Amino acid sequence: MISFLFFSIRRAWQGFWRNALMSLAATATMVLMLLLLAGFFIIQAGLLAGLEFTEQKVEVVGYLHPNVSDRQVSTLRAELEAMPQVDTVEYITRDIALERFRERMEAQGREDLTQYLDSNPLYASLEVKLVDPSAVRTIGEAMRADPAVRNVINIEDLVERVLTVTNILRTAGTVLLLVVGVIALFIIVNTIRLAVFARAEEIEIMRLVGASDAFIRWPFIFEGAFVGFLGATLTLAVLAAAADPLSGFMVEFFRVLPLEVGSLTRDLVTLVMGTGVGLGILGSRVSVRTYLIR
Amino acid sequence: MTVAPPPSPTRSLRRRILDRGRDQAVPDRAVLVLHDVTKRYPNGKIALRDVDLVIPEGDFVFLVGPSGAGKSTLIKLLIRDEIATRGDVVLDGQDLARLPRRQVPRMRRKIGIIFQDFKLLPTKTVWENVAFALEVTGYPRRGIRPAVDQVLAIVGLSAQAKQTPNQLSGGEQQRTAIARALVHDPRLIIADEPTGNLDPLISWEILQLLLRINELGVTVLMATHNAEVVTALRKRVVALEEGRIIRDEVGGAYHRED
Repeated sequence: MISFLFFSIRRAWQGFWRNALMSLAATATMVLMLLLLAGFFIIQAGLLAGLEFTEQKVEVVGYLHPNVSDRQVSTLRAELEAMPQVDTVEYITRDIALERFRERMEAQGREDLTQYLDSNPLYASLEVKLVDPSAVRTIGEAMRADPAVRNVINIEDLVERVLTVTNILRTAGTVLLLVVGVIALFIIVNTIRLAVFARAEEIEIMRLVGASDAFIRWPFIFEGAFVGFLGATLTLAVLAAAADPLSGFMVEFFRVLPLEVGSLTRDLVTLVMGTGVGLGILGSRVSVRTYLIR
Repeated sequence: MTVAPPPSPTRSLRRRILDRGRDQAVPDRAVLVLHDVTKRYPNGKIALRDVDLVIPEGDFVFLVGPSGAGKSTLIKLLIRDEIATRGDVVLDGQDLARLPRRQVPRMRRKIGIIFQDFKLLPTKTVWENVAFALEVTGYPRRGIRPAVDQVLAIVGLSAQAKQTPNQLSGGEQQRTAIARALVHDPRLIIADEPTGNLDPLISWEILQLLLRINELGVTVLMATHNAEVVTALRKRVVALEEGRIIRDEVGGAYHRED
């Protein structure tokens, strides 16, 4: 078994270098396809992060009657927080509301007109952030039902329309990524097929001298895995080299998004390595099969 | 009077060389039996009809006939590249139709096959081409060197071991192929037009080599169009025409002699 493994790996290595031109062509195709795939994956990750960012902005704001007691507020707050769709509930007192208003006016460079008022005209409110924006209607209705709530701004229709759009974008992104994945699959498998085809005579001789299927198949599978590994490594090297200049102008974009660069890198390495080695193996397997079935 | 022990059917080539001359009495055991074999291809073409053929151990048989007579199909049946539509093909006691696919490679190691176009790997040396047959069949690594050196000596290519096929003459290339066919110590050598690409002198050289191998006890089945060789050697001749055996005579010529 060990000697068989050793044999297969040695033959794979020989096979790669003895047909260097074909092997390097396959590797180059692999690199290009993986770069394409990785590019789409990054765009997809950015798109998803952007959509999530938009959706996180959704919050339900319920204005409270001016005369509600603190107890009523804390009861309502506890009720809302107990709901699974609710992420956080923030209580904005009238003072805070006024302060925010002033800040906003100042930021816009407009005169603070509230200084001419005798009293604070603003209402206290509860700002509810949601785990899932599609729960906006449920939460809105729950709040409207509470006597302490004066009114809830009706954003349900708007949110639902936005959600329709984001869902379409999400599906489109996934479909596009899948399409690119399938294209990469076919091109890579076909290139490896050509490389194996160039050695049809070798396979024929192996069959004639009585090599078992395993002895014919495994060297090619190891060779495919090697092409995949080499292609994936080169792709990752290119991506790593391109990461710095790219992030230079992307950094602003990514900073506002809830995108974790660490997890993106990890996913990308997994995707590129997995696809490269996986397709290398699959390509060899499929190609050699053609010659083994009789 | 001492009686030599009956040679075992699986004795090694080395053994055969050592025993050379001592066991002229070849056991009357069939290496190959075809019984009532018909081969019809999926396109409806019938390549072989009711073929009966018995080849005993140690025989030297010429298979002759015009192109399209079924010689290639017969050889494909023997190496189980194709399976007979009807009838039995029994090689060394094994019915090929009933042989599970997984055991086909093991069976093929009992056959050494030689082609008109040599089928050598151009990137490997003579030595590597022969060793290749052992490497890819899981032969113990330590045994490869002595086995290859030995068969190269038999075919007379020890000096050319490090050359690649394109540095060799056609005859030397064919001898490399013969060495490769021999290295598994086969029960049967199938030669499909081995002299088809060679000039007459070199053809005779190859024939001499095959005869010598036959003398060592290996059964040889040679398909050929080379009338001169067949007629001169007066070996057993099996003639195929339109998928039937029309003649099977010991000491025959290429053409019918009536």
